[in-house]
Amino acid sequence: MNQMTRDQMEAAAPLAAVPADQKSLIEIRDLYKSFGRRHILRGINLDVIRGETLVILGGSGSGKTTLLRHLMGMLRPDEGSIAVHFADSTMRLDRASHAELDAYRDRLGVIFQGAALLNSMTVLENVGLPLVEVRRLPPQVVYEKVIVALQKVYLPAGEILHLKPAALSGGMRKRVGIARAIVQEPELILYDEPTTGLDPVTVSGVNELTLDLQKRLGVTSVVITHDIHAAFIIADRIAMLYKGRIIAIGPKDEFRAHPNPVVQQLLTGSTQGPLTEAFLQGQAT
Amino acid sequence: MSRKTTLFERMDHSTGVKAVESVGRAAMERASLGGRALLLFIDTIYQLPKTARSLPQIFRQIEICGIGSLFVLALIAFLTGMIMALQTGSELLKFGAQNNLGAIIGATFVREFGPMWAAIIMLARVGAAMAAELGTMAVNEEVDALRVMNINPVRFLVLPRMLALIVSMPLLTVIADYVGMFGGALVASYVYGSPFDQFLDSARGILGNLDFYSGLAKSMVFGAIIATIACDRGLHTTDGAEGVGRSTNQTVVASVICVLIANLMMTGFVQQILKPVFE
Ligand SMILES: Nc1ncnc2c1ncn2[C@@H]1O[C@H](COP(=O)(O)OP(=O)(O)OP(=O)(O)O)[C@@H](O)[C@H]1O
Ligand SMILES: [Mg+2]
Repeated sequence: MNQMTRDQMEAAAPLAAVPADQKSLIEIRDLYKSFGRRHILRGINLDVIRGETLVILGGSGSGKTTLLRHLMGMLRPDEGSIAVHFADSTMRLDRASHAELDAYRDRLGVIFQGAALLNSMTVLENVGLPLVEVRRLPPQVVYEKVIVALQKVYLPAGEILHLKPAALSGGMRKRVGIARAIVQEPELILYDEPTTGLDPVTVSGVNELTLDLQKRLGVTSVVITHDIHAAFIIADRIAMLYKGRIIAIGPKDEFRAHPNPVVQQLLTGSTQGPLTEAFLQGQAT
Repeated sequence: MSRKTTLFERMDHSTGVKAVESVGRAAMERASLGGRALLLFIDTIYQLPKTARSLPQIFRQIEICGIGSLFVLALIAFLTGMIMALQTGSELLKFGAQNNLGAIIGATFVREFGPMWAAIIMLARVGAAMAAELGTMAVNEEVDALRVMNINPVRFLVLPRMLALIVSMPLLTVIADYVGMFGGALVASYVYGSPFDQFLDSARGILGNLDFYSGLAKSMVFGAIIATIACDRGLHTTDGAEGVGRSTNQTVVASVICVLIANLMMTGFVQQILKPVFE
């Protein structure tokens, strides 16, 4: 029998201690969030270590996007705290003022699932948008920075600069979305399902790009996905979100050997196990 | 033996309560939607000092909404001007009063038909398109992306659209006024034998500055109403393509109703309060 009660599962998955020589950039403590009577996040405890890529795995509807939207400052927790420790300042996202949120977002890059490019604008205008609208840089500087950003994501800047997003392939759009996120040189990058909906070759390309950016930019990244394969490629550590809690977290090798049956079912892709039961009971809520 | 039941009898206690409850809930929802739109309007006013930065977008929006609607509006005004003249002219002819056609057509267009036709065309063409455009952006997380980049969607998306509509509406109204009167004058002279000059004199005799400017002021308010509703519905769109369709429909229906209510209130204000003061 590999059935476990919820309490046993939680006991089996204590908050993984952050190694003493590493500092966390983000500390999430006892985060709760409900929409009406639907309790989506039920006590999230999670540390994101400075400079790491943390992948958060979870099934459909498990609340991954909801968790990520808390990290964007778009949602406030019902309870609990989110602290972000930058080198020069600490911020509490759960009670940040408008000005604090603006300051936080200046250091944040987000890659949305569908890239979220503005359709009426060219690639140049899209990638340069934050530089023009927020930092109000002169056109020549914007142009140069956009070219650099596009080169970082291995796009042929000269060919696509004046195209609209509709004229690009899905993989290219995703890369343009990444270029827009890194054009301001953020310290923290959030990815919402970066590889969902792309063909296998493009998926590998995006994975390689994520790894590559990681090495070259030295940023901290949080990636949410249900793509296990991608997770093991890009992650330093992997966490699993299940029924509103983080039930397992660790470096990816440890994660692979995690005793939790939910994790094992996810890794083996078996149809037998607690995940399936949760699904049959009407989704993991 | 069959027994006829009255509607009241068939409706047991709980149905009655439920009916009241659902009407009440619908009213509350409308009210809270209206409140949300009003907040968006106030928010847009707060962004006014940043207008200069949005000038290129404002011109682009004026081009889209103003210029694009010109031809349709002119055609509709021309046709209604002629129809009205035909209808009223036949009655006036009985009293030999066809020389007063200009007063009737002129007053109707400058006070009512000009601003109203401009509003109807704008809400059907431009308001609906705005709601669909912003709705698609909201559904594709483009609006969220703007927020995360610290770009205020109200300044970036709503302000240019609102100003474009407020500026375009009086221009379109003036055109509707003149084209409508021209249509009326054509009918007056060719069908009822009342010359062009006569039509104009008659119109001038009844129309004052108050009529003209209150008509333009109305049209600007209509523009603000249409833009507010379209942007509010658009920005709050959820549920993918289906949601976009819903937002577009709601925008058209809500704008027609709000424009008519605003029209009633402003007309009452002009006729009952301003007119006695000015004349
Ligand atoms: N603003 C909201 N209002 C009401 N319910 C919401 C809201 N946002 C999310 N939910 C609900 O919360 C649950 C979790 O949503 P979320 O988008 O976080 O899941 P997810 O893990 O990202 O799923 P997916 O893999 O499908 O993207 C869903 O059932 C969703 O319907
Ligand atoms: Mg999601």
